[in-house]
Amino acid sequence: MLSVLTLLIIGIPWLGAACIWLAGDRRPKLLHALATSFAVLAAIVTLAVLPFSTSNAVIRIAMGGILGDFTLIPDGLGIFIAAIATVVGSAAVIFAIDYMGQHAHQLARFYALVLFFIGAMAGLALSGSLLFAFFFWEITALCSYALISFHNDNPRAVAGGIKALIMTQIGGVGLLGGALWVYAYFGNYQINTLLTQYHSLPPVVLSVMGFGFLIAAAAKSAQVPFHSWLPDAMEAPTPVTALIHAATMVNAGVYLLARFYPAFESIPGWSIAVMTVGVLSALLAGLMALFADDIKRVLAYSTISQLGYMFYAVGTGSIFASQFHLFSHAIFKALLFLSAGAVITSLDTRDLRKMGGLGKSMPFLRAMFVIGALGLIGLPIANGFFSKELILEGGLESGPLIFYLIMLFSAGVTALYTVRLLYMIFWGEPSGGPKPAHDGLPAMRVSLIVLAFGTLTTWLLAGSFSQMLSNTLPFHHLEAEPTIALVKQICLAPTTWIALGVIALGFIAWSARARFTAFAQAFRPIAEAGFGFEALNRQIVNGVKRSATFVQTSQTGQLNWNVVGILAGLVIVLLVVLRGV
Amino acid sequence: MNFPIFLWLILLPGLSAVLTYLAGRIAQRVSLWFLPYLIAVLALLSTWVPFSLTAIRLAHGDNLQYTFGSITLRMDGLGLLLSAVVLGLGTLVALYSGPYLSKETGQEKFYAMLLLMISMIIGLGCATDLFNLWIWFEAMAVTSYLLVAFYRNQPAALEAGFKYLVQNAAGSALVVTGIALVFAATGSLNLANIRAAATPSPWLAAAGALFIIGFGVKTALVPLHTWLPDAHSQAPSGISAMLSGVVIEAGLVAMLRALGTLVAVSWTWYLLLIGIGALNMLVGNLMALQQKQVKRLLAYSSVAQIGYMLLGLGIAFYSGQPDGAQGSLFHLLNHGMMKGLAFLSAGVILYALYIASGDHGPLLIEDLSGAARRYPLAALTLSLAVLGLGGLPPLAGFMSKWQIFAAGFETHNPWMEALVIFAALNSVLSLAYYVPLINAMYRLEPSEKVKRGVSMPRIMVVPLLILGLAIVVIGVWPSLMNWLTFPAARVLMANLGV
Repeated sequence: MLSVLTLLIIGIPWLGAACIWLAGDRRPKLLHALATSFAVLAAIVTLAVLPFSTSNAVIRIAMGGILGDFTLIPDGLGIFIAAIATVVGSAAVIFAIDYMGQHAHQLARFYALVLFFIGAMAGLALSGSLLFAFFFWEITALCSYALISFHNDNPRAVAGGIKALIMTQIGGVGLLGGALWVYAYFGNYQINTLLTQYHSLPPVVLSVMGFGFLIAAAAKSAQVPFHSWLPDAMEAPTPVTALIHAATMVNAGVYLLARFYPAFESIPGWSIAVMTVGVLSALLAGLMALFADDIKRVLAYSTISQLGYMFYAVGTGSIFASQFHLFSHAIFKALLFLSAGAVITSLDTRDLRKMGGLGKSMPFLRAMFVIGALGLIGLPIANGFFSKELILEGGLESGPLIFYLIMLFSAGVTALYTVRLLYMIFWGEPSGGPKPAHDGLPAMRVSLIVLAFGTLTTWLLAGSFSQMLSNTLPFHHLEAEPTIALVKQICLAPTTWIALGVIALGFIAWSARARFTAFAQAFRPIAEAGFGFEALNRQIVNGVKRSATFVQTSQTGQLNWNVVGILAGLVIVLLVVLRGV
Repeated sequence: MNFPIFLWLILLPGLSAVLTYLAGRIAQRVSLWFLPYLIAVLALLSTWVPFSLTAIRLAHGDNLQYTFGSITLRMDGLGLLLSAVVLGLGTLVALYSGPYLSKETGQEKFYAMLLLMISMIIGLGCATDLFNLWIWFEAMAVTSYLLVAFYRNQPAALEAGFKYLVQNAAGSALVVTGIALVFAATGSLNLANIRAAATPSPWLAAAGALFIIGFGVKTALVPLHTWLPDAHSQAPSGISAMLSGVVIEAGLVAMLRALGTLVAVSWTWYLLLIGIGALNMLVGNLMALQQKQVKRLLAYSSVAQIGYMLLGLGIAFYSGQPDGAQGSLFHLLNHGMMKGLAFLSAGVILYALYIASGDHGPLLIEDLSGAARRYPLAALTLSLAVLGLGGLPPLAGFMSKWQIFAAGFETHNPWMEALVIFAALNSVLSLAYYVPLINAMYRLEPSEKVKRGVSMPRIMVVPLLILGLAIVVIGVWPSLMNWLTFPAARVLMANLGV
């Protein structure tokens, strides 16, 4: 029974994708109904499997030869990510009923890809085989690309999609190498084989593998130095952004590191490298968010920054805290993105400078945005408060002090850019921009209320979540703690009060912003240039293009030169062969 | 039985070629233009009967061999794999070409040559001595020159055909020289005898080099590949599919058969295969990167894809393990389907936008704008094909590339591992030219050409659907093809003396 249900978590969305694709674009209402029912059904099945999480493989299919076994393991970590994918996926699909209404032309392609993504994301989390984890990993990248450039007529959407695909794929090579090594040394691809037998790998191999996975994770989770694809991915339809680029796919990197932490923690320099990536991302992205004028880009930078917190948590060994923050972030960031999506459809612009003073005409969306902001800043009683404090506490305990201080500073920056965002949309002077057309359409409101409720309450699940992880992750040695104890621990910890103080400083900085104008003016160009990483990307792309142009000169189109090529080839091959006799 | 069933695999298409031509000449007078088409399709469909019987007998372990005078033909796993690819793609291409060529003259020649080419390639797979291997190879080449230059009033097609002819003739001369050297050194042309007699000697090593380069011209090894972009883009799309999907692979099989006899002569073979493979990937991808013409882009992608096959074969030569060979042969099969599908789908759009109105201009990437709304199936299958070529799951290309990569890591050799990483990065690079095709097709704003395009002929749906489904199904369930690739890899490894 459990095995069938687990398979259905992937099967239902994929079946839905096929049905929607076959249904075609002719009847939009049918498509909305199909997409919603398949997504919600998948969510129900996932939640039904949740209580039965186990560390054993419930599905095992031999793929033959060098492809090993396909296994599905609904353990705490896996089923939890699958639950986020299907539940937030349902919210995004319901939201899309209103949001995508105007794109009747390619609705089938949209829904089919979203459902295909949901299934693949669940598969990635549930797969017990590294080969199939990679298989699903690549499918999520494919869907992400196709949905970012969903509006193919917009050149920026096309460029953003291709950039996201290429950058995550380059990182993915790290995961590929790791998976191949597992096979080369153990004869199968099972993740649990690696986690039990990693001692027997040559240290160099383990070490390269650990750093390869870090590269893969950083690329997928848009961490420094691979972060720049995520802001450009904001051309995607907003439900997609909320689902893929906030709540699920970008978390895959954190998931990967958390999953393999027991094998890699002993690698010299690995933990500190993970922390460094996290700290840099949290800080730099936070600073970039301060200067962005596109509502979605601000949220994208904040996603990079929050993912940085999760990386930092994994690096300090606080696996539970990292996953708990992943959980909170998925909910509150989906809420923020979907609220932003509602604002965007209402105003038909993403430019913050054309907003302002909208709170009175959009009270509902303002309320939703504020709840999401509570989570992002990390204020009680939103879920983000508890998870972020837990990360900072763990960081002070087992990480270098300087990293802790930077993360603390970043918490202040988070407060600052979030307040700026809220102020520029809902408070402040009206900019004379477009008038709002609505305050959230019906289907949008349904998704937003569900997510807002989640933002305020999911921290109550902390106890059962930690229980589930400790029960089903035998290699991580996590201790279960009841919610009450966790809450008590967080509220009494001095780090919590320090963090709240820094957040208050962030608020103060906003109210005293007039004093920092000169500094901000000087700093803005550096942040807008992405601290030089954009230039680096451009140089790499140009380098490849130049070499392509160079190689193209070899195609002269003249037969004489072609024959010269043949003879030159012969001479070289002859020389090589004759040396080897 | 004296006359084994597998010979019908060669004879049926071969004899039908003659019949098709004659019927076509006669039909011209009574305006039954579709007669050669009909005969060709029926002949190829009926060839599946001897194919299935042969496959079953081979699976039972029968020794399928026929000796005629001093010539022996033998069907083995490798030959069966080649037959499956050429027959599969050939049948679909024949079916596809009916509407594609409906406005052209000389169709009877087209179908006759196509049938003959299929027959020769299957024969090539059955050759047991060097000389016959070369004869089949040359006969196949002759049919392909004529097919490349099928649009005989188009200067570009003629130029492509001419370059193809000259370069391959140069290669052919090298092969013959190699055969002469082998014969001089071992006194035999029989592959098995040569293998038994081969010992390290400079003459045999030179013969091996001549085989690599000679057959390599047809296989489009870099730097011998310069004819390929012209030939593959100028031919009618069905033939482009055959050339990229089968003919260059047939050259590879011929090279492996010949080289397999000389394994003991030099240790450098694996080095050459891997080195040229890496070069093929890099050059093919870089050349394709800035292409504006769809078919030319796909042609360069074939240069890159051959690189993956060479890499897997090199790994097998190096390690003596069958995994690399199996991955390579699996990729050969998948590439046949994916590249075949890519050319056929692009051909549908080319037909609808250009050929149907008598225009022989090249299909540009910008012409694809908005194609998905007019030609949803062709756009979808072209997308599937190029994503599969780029190695994305859940498509066939992912699985075969994975097998090659895994075989490389199994050697535990850091150089091999580095090469696999290089190959994987090349796959990423290849996406940079594959995916813009998709982006263009799924635009809403149609290009001028798409606005004026005719609708897609019904019958073309069949090959696109079959190939599209196949690459998805194999991508999800790769072991489905093990019955073909495992025995083929076993034969290859046995040739290498493992």
